[in-house]
Amino acid sequence: MGKIHARNCSKLQSANLIAVADISKKALKLVKKMGVTQTFTDYHQLIKQPNIDAVLISLPTHLHAPCAISAAEEGKHVFLEKPLARNPEEGKKIISAARKNNVRLMVGYPLRFSSTLRHLKNKLDSGVLGDIQTAHAFHIGSGPFYHRIEHAIPRPVPEWWLKKELTGGALLDLGSHMINLTRWYFGEINDIKAFLGHRFNFDFEDHAICVANFTSGTTATINLGWFSQKDAIGIELFGTVTHESGYHMRPRKIITAIQLLLGRTPGFSEVYLKEVSHFIRCIKENLQPSPSGDDALKDLETIARAYKNEIRLHRSNKYGNTKH
Amino acid sequence: MAIERCFSHCTDKDKEHSENHLKEHARKRDNLMSLVSFVSIQKNTISSIKQAIMESLDLIEYSFKKEIKNVVIKPNMCYYWDYSTGQTTDPRFVALVIEILREKISPNVEISIVESDASAMKCKYAFKFLAYEKIAKQHNIKLVNLSEEEAEPVKAKVRNQNFSVTVPQIIKNADLRINIPKIKHISFCKISCALKNMFGCNPHPQKFKYHSKLSETIVALNKAMPFDLCILDGITVSGPPVSKLGLVMASQDPVAIDTAAAIIAGVNPKSVEHIVLGEKEDLGRTSFIAKGMNPNYFKRRYPQKTLTDKATTLGYRLVRVFGLEKRLMLK
Repeated sequence: MGKIHARNCSKLQSANLIAVADISKKALKLVKKMGVTQTFTDYHQLIKQPNIDAVLISLPTHLHAPCAISAAEEGKHVFLEKPLARNPEEGKKIISAARKNNVRLMVGYPLRFSSTLRHLKNKLDSGVLGDIQTAHAFHIGSGPFYHRIEHAIPRPVPEWWLKKELTGGALLDLGSHMINLTRWYFGEINDIKAFLGHRFNFDFEDHAICVANFTSGTTATINLGWFSQKDAIGIELFGTVTHESGYHMRPRKIITAIQLLLGRTPGFSEVYLKEVSHFIRCIKENLQPSPSGDDALKDLETIARAYKNEIRLHRSNKYGNTKH
Repeated sequence: MAIERCFSHCTDKDKEHSENHLKEHARKRDNLMSLVSFVSIQKNTISSIKQAIMESLDLIEYSFKKEIKNVVIKPNMCYYWDYSTGQTTDPRFVALVIEILREKISPNVEISIVESDASAMKCKYAFKFLAYEKIAKQHNIKLVNLSEEEAEPVKAKVRNQNFSVTVPQIIKNADLRINIPKIKHISFCKISCALKNMFGCNPHPQKFKYHSKLSETIVALNKAMPFDLCILDGITVSGPPVSKLGLVMASQDPVAIDTAAAIIAGVNPKSVEHIVLGEKEDLGRTSFIAKGMNPNYFKRRYPQKTLTDKATTLGYRLVRVFGLEKRLMLK
């Protein structure tokens, strides 16, 4: 993610990417080629630089709180990758640090900037679909693992991905996207329950199905998973008048390849460019960015409720299928 | 009913139809050629798979010696890909082989599943994610990371060059070594099966270093630590596209089973360098006697690359040739 953000930020007209911190020297070498003048192997050094107005934090989830709080205390506006933190307690500390130091805090939910999903939201708000009685949101992919792409040699999975205390599970990682999206569509969640699955025998769930009831009366299933070699991100709305669906599709490989070769922003990373542009505009025009820290905190609180209300089903004891 | 077919290069003289000549030919052939069995799994159930494995062993006339005390099993693990992708051995298949070993040899036979760390795969996670920890618990077997085991260097001569192969003690000391490979198309060596699966017995994690002399390394590894039995898990094959093939193959000859796998996958075995080299270096024979079902039955059912797959392969090859991986964010 950091690489995508660096690439996008280096193209922005409204701001300059002047410094990057990364423990990987290879990554720093890459950003130097993009024109970044200041590079650091320790983020503490970066946030102390007086010429920096805002930071974009794209770190493993367990480092969100310490890094965001330090940045806020140094008076830097913070753009933080989702999820806000590992749990609501950490999330509250980040928000409080941002408030205390009067800095803007935005959480990166790229689906909120997808033109397809925004178009669907407009349709929903216009009433043409009627009341949405049920909905099905899904975010399926391979999680921390490499897809089996021919000729692509997989790289090691960073250890932090595989430790529950550092990363959470699929419900936190992917659920934060879809819970934020469904809350944006249907309002606050009254009640939520989750089935947690363990195909790959992690210490945490690699897939989850949530059933959520919203204040608007909509009931939605949220289907999340790290088990597939093919990505699927989208939402299907079933209204009293008609049905509609929206998918955040990855564009065709050949189109992406051409865009990258021509030095353009590929379709799949456009949403990231839009969200960072929004963040910068909010700082410049003194606006409240959206999704805000408070919004992301509600997602974390909902996820915590879902974990608490786990649905236990009788499962078969086949290899590679279930935990129990 | 078992069908026997001869996959070899017979001379016209050998094909004379006199009874004596046929008998003589059969005797010569049986001495010169290895047996490879081909069995179709009737239903995707545990009992059907077990039956197919047992039948495949019966067809190659394999019997387990009662005096065997410890067995090493090498399944195919490739990164953390799930068995349903056809990239890794089905853990159910391995569990069934363990059951058969316990039934045929002794309930107390010591069994170890071995694998080593690779550039992008850590054994401790692969054992966990791919359900081997569950198998170990249920069947009371050991999971061994060869990268952390005691090993000793063994010299293996390939193409008159000396290769130093690190052989883990557990493999060296095993009474029976079983290879459970998959059939896979791999761009840099065309086909991966029993011979290539031994790459995972090389304890050095940075395996890509050996890719420049891949065929020699594969053959050297097989020479330094020969396995006694290969049982191929062809329940699902990776294709592309991924397909359920329902095949079990068995042989004591890794070259023969690789040749058969290549034929089924539509690859000319003579174009696969490590198969040809394996035969040259006496690891086995490319001529084999097919027992059981006709290999063509599986060849017909083996997934064929679609035009899109072929174009994608070509595309990736061009990307590599022109060194565009970084620009296309593939590296």
